[in-house]
Amino acid sequence: MLPTFSYVRPDKLEQAVKHLETERAAIHAGGTDLLGCLRERIMDTRLLVSISGIKELSGIKEIAGGGLRIGALTTISAIAENKLVRDKYPGLARGAAEVASPQLRNQGTLGGNLCQKPRCWYYRGEFHCLRKGGNRCFALKGENQFHAIFGHDNICVFSHPSDTAPVLVALGADVHVLGPSGKRTIAVADLHVLPADDVLADTVLKQAEIITHITIPAPARHLYTSYRKVRARRSWDFALAGAALALVMDGPRVARAKVVLSGCAPVPWPSIAAEQVLTGRNLTPEIMAKAARAAVAAAKPLAGNEYKVAMCRGMLEEELQKAGQGGSR
Amino acid sequence: MTSNDKIYYREGIPVPETPAAENSPDFWKKTTIVGKALPRVDAYDRVSGTALFPSDILLPNMIYGVILRSPHPHARVKRIDIAEAQKMQGVRAIITGESAEAKGITWQYRDQQVPLFDPHCRFEGEVVAAVAADTWYQASDAARAIKVDYEILAFVADYEKALDEGAARVQDKGNLLNEETYERGDIKKGLAQADLVLEETYHTPCELHTPLELHGCVANWERDRLTIWESSQGVYAVQAKIAQALALPLSKIRVKGHYMGGGFGSKLSPGKYTVICSLLAKKTGRPVKLLLSREETYLCVGNRPATTMRLKAGIKKDGTLTALEFECSGPSGAYPAGGAQLVDWLARDLYQCDHVRTSSKDVLINAGPARPFRAPGHPQGAWALEQMIDALAAEIGMDPVELRLKNIPLRSQARAENPPYTTTGLRQCLEEGAKEFKWQATLKEIRNHNRKEGHRKRGIGVGACLWIAGGGGPPSTVILKMYKDGSINLNMGASDIGTGTKTVMAQVAAEELGVNPQVIQIEHADTATTQFATPSGGSKTVPTEAPTVRNAAISLKRALLAMAAEDLEVAMEELEYVGDEIVWSKDRTKKIKVTDVSRLNRRGEVIGVGYRGPNPADKVVNPFAAHFCEVEVNTLTGEIEILRFLGVHDSGRVMNRLTFDNQVYGGIVMGIGLGLTECRQLDESQTGKLCNKNWHDYKLPTALDVPQAMTSLAVELDDPECNNTGAKGLGEPVTIPTAAALANALYMATGVRFTRAPISPMAVTRELSKKKKG
Repeated sequence: MLPTFSYVRPDKLEQAVKHLETERAAIHAGGTDLLGCLRERIMDTRLLVSISGIKELSGIKEIAGGGLRIGALTTISAIAENKLVRDKYPGLARGAAEVASPQLRNQGTLGGNLCQKPRCWYYRGEFHCLRKGGNRCFALKGENQFHAIFGHDNICVFSHPSDTAPVLVALGADVHVLGPSGKRTIAVADLHVLPADDVLADTVLKQAEIITHITIPAPARHLYTSYRKVRARRSWDFALAGAALALVMDGPRVARAKVVLSGCAPVPWPSIAAEQVLTGRNLTPEIMAKAARAAVAAAKPLAGNEYKVAMCRGMLEEELQKAGQGGSR
Repeated sequence: MTSNDKIYYREGIPVPETPAAENSPDFWKKTTIVGKALPRVDAYDRVSGTALFPSDILLPNMIYGVILRSPHPHARVKRIDIAEAQKMQGVRAIITGESAEAKGITWQYRDQQVPLFDPHCRFEGEVVAAVAADTWYQASDAARAIKVDYEILAFVADYEKALDEGAARVQDKGNLLNEETYERGDIKKGLAQADLVLEETYHTPCELHTPLELHGCVANWERDRLTIWESSQGVYAVQAKIAQALALPLSKIRVKGHYMGGGFGSKLSPGKYTVICSLLAKKTGRPVKLLLSREETYLCVGNRPATTMRLKAGIKKDGTLTALEFECSGPSGAYPAGGAQLVDWLARDLYQCDHVRTSSKDVLINAGPARPFRAPGHPQGAWALEQMIDALAAEIGMDPVELRLKNIPLRSQARAENPPYTTTGLRQCLEEGAKEFKWQATLKEIRNHNRKEGHRKRGIGVGACLWIAGGGGPPSTVILKMYKDGSINLNMGASDIGTGTKTVMAQVAAEELGVNPQVIQIEHADTATTQFATPSGGSKTVPTEAPTVRNAAISLKRALLAMAAEDLEVAMEELEYVGDEIVWSKDRTKKIKVTDVSRLNRRGEVIGVGYRGPNPADKVVNPFAAHFCEVEVNTLTGEIEILRFLGVHDSGRVMNRLTFDNQVYGGIVMGIGLGLTECRQLDESQTGKLCNKNWHDYKLPTALDVPQAMTSLAVELDDPECNNTGAKGLGEPVTIPTAAALANALYMATGVRFTRAPISPMAVTRELSKKKKG
């Protein structure tokens, strides 16, 4: 059951920011995650500020230099289907297409997808866990088969649910934010917060800050992008292991590599080790296997998710094989 | 099933006898309407929304009920403070164990009687208090505002540890609820005769009931008479249980079923919520609607219990099974509910085997009680037995289809006196299935494919089964009324739980009476206006009701023949009912249209009553099946793709090709859930609470998890002995061998014997890594 709350739907961005300065206010965009969080009483929200009436927040536009500007309110299905996205960054279109289910993609927004609350059945359930102000992480010693193998520091061990964030990190995208003290720009790579830094924060966004849009730099020549998601069922599920690739190819050689894992850590997880193996090398079977091994070398699996190490390695190896076959796109 | 079989869908309800059936007609040789792929008679109502489900009921002045449940798996309620909740807006009644309305009211968990509001809460989700308020939100808010002091008790959530020394006691008498053994022959001898003995331990997960329509009801009192609209598989079961709980005469309780959105066994009987809703309605003097939330249904409307099965099997080189030793255990939950019920049945009875010993242990844990779940016990038993048969075949170098064919029984070995089956279609299911599936050719193709490089490996698998029931039987009474215009009213007590029962019955009546099924109006599932029926479950609704409908039609026809004899001035015995006419057999030009019969027109209507006759004495009516599937496994990621599935079923006559095929597809989908995706996850080591109580975390298969290439093949054996329609049950065998067939296919693809369901990508990756390490 949803708790009692007030609801406003301003049509100006500035008004929305103003409303959000109210205590216990929350942004309502597509609502797909928010309504679940409210029903499960994860947030004690008294005011919902819907931004769905703010027209300027939607849409996909090409920007000077050939990059893209995507409004935060653009739906996930609009991104998956958009020709500019599909042409420039097929990996992002794929990431969007892999999100949840058709209904949720039609309703969910890019901004919302980046700001999702953690997916952990303890956090979402009736467990007063660390992230909700309690004194322990239930997943650490409990049922943690869906949880993180990187970046959890044995503090809070959920794995970040977004399928678009890893791709945006790999593409070097930025989020543009408006708040009470004006505008600022944050790299998507810096948006999410590790448990060790602040276990109560999901993102670096401050109270009343709204993501207005995301910009993605122009694709380099011979940029290959992809996104892969392994899950327990084929729709309406989060990643058990996933990866976004952004490889700038120079013939058979990888000139620049971005490998960002999903389903493995409390934040989109750039695999520097894999990137290092790949950069400057030809995509040979040996290099692919080596990169995949390197990606999981530092994994810290929990009691229930050791399988993720092999799955992640296997998934990455397969994705690199595809990249090798697909050449530069 | 023979008449003396005890069966779960009758548990807890008194079952009356019906009068003997007279003039039961002969088996149909040929049919014109029965068997056709006719769309459902209520298809338009279902898709247009004019079909009213209990969830849709809106009565004037209706208010809403909400139940407050224990958040702890084991606790004692020490104090309940309703002061604040009572003052909240819209609240009209609060009931707790201390309330006058609840005093003395009890609930039966099978043979165990407990107070309706038991202060000793033995599972998360047990009822603690209930609120009625003007809106659902007000009732929910008030329920949250009730303050409860709990004494938290130690719990046990892992059934494999329930019998350990020092395990928390769910009930005072300990956690071993029941132990059952069965033996025929001499197991030692059987094992000694074997050329090969294999032993393996298998696990299946606990599957949670999650039908689309939530559990719940609307209750309304008119003075001393209670009407309940319940999402139920059987209105008479609801009536009996509520009459018992509230100590009311049966005539004072009217239960309406009509449409309902899925039950699968979980709605064979009502819940505590039905009693609570009735009490709230009585206390407030208002109709009350009480539908559980999805989270609540995950906690308290039942499950297919998890099972651990150890199977030791002996076989000769020629494929003769010599011994089956089967041990299983499973949890009922916090109260008796058949935790290991029927799990051993396939080991006892599916294959010819002289030496069999089985034992079943039913244990208690602090979790929601089980309820029957489509083919109770059987898919679990098949998971073990059908994988074992596969392993034995591999070891002795025999094709798994061949090995099964070698051991087909013609008699039920597990029943006293070894009665024969009326028909055993198992051979045809396997043979025709293997042919349709191109088993041999695919086998070769796959061997070649898997020898090649590459990380995508393929496999095919087969599984077979029978279903312990499915013959139906008395009691059943059906009344057919023909109006003078030839249109027909069909009155039966049984529920159509979404399987197409109404459509099939309309076809049966239309077949006999020569009318278009569209002119048949069906009145059903209402205790006030229809006759007694057992709940729709156990794959017995068609074989129970269809012969009764036919008998009613025969009775109606006899009445019409008598009337027509007056018009035609010939002896009734010389008249025949042909299509929509009555014809004199001596001169076929002498005839009358049924609607022209004078007395019918004068009376306006004529009635026929049908009773369900007995099943054949000393014979068993069981359906049989075989499932075949092909899978591809990504050995790098553990992902499984099901390429195709074939369900081959011997359920006697196909009554309606569309509803038949739909049952097969639905059963396969559900079996895929057991095999690959579904699993109740309790937080066993910390809190005992349920982790996955929503549709995202509890993973039902989605449309993308089931193959597009699903085929249904019917082995239509004439079975004139089973009943006068020749139809056997279908709803349950369709999901029995599915998961095991998948496991067998996955073995071929990976070389790993997946003994633990579900086989998720996680499990595949885990096992393949283990195998690599050696």
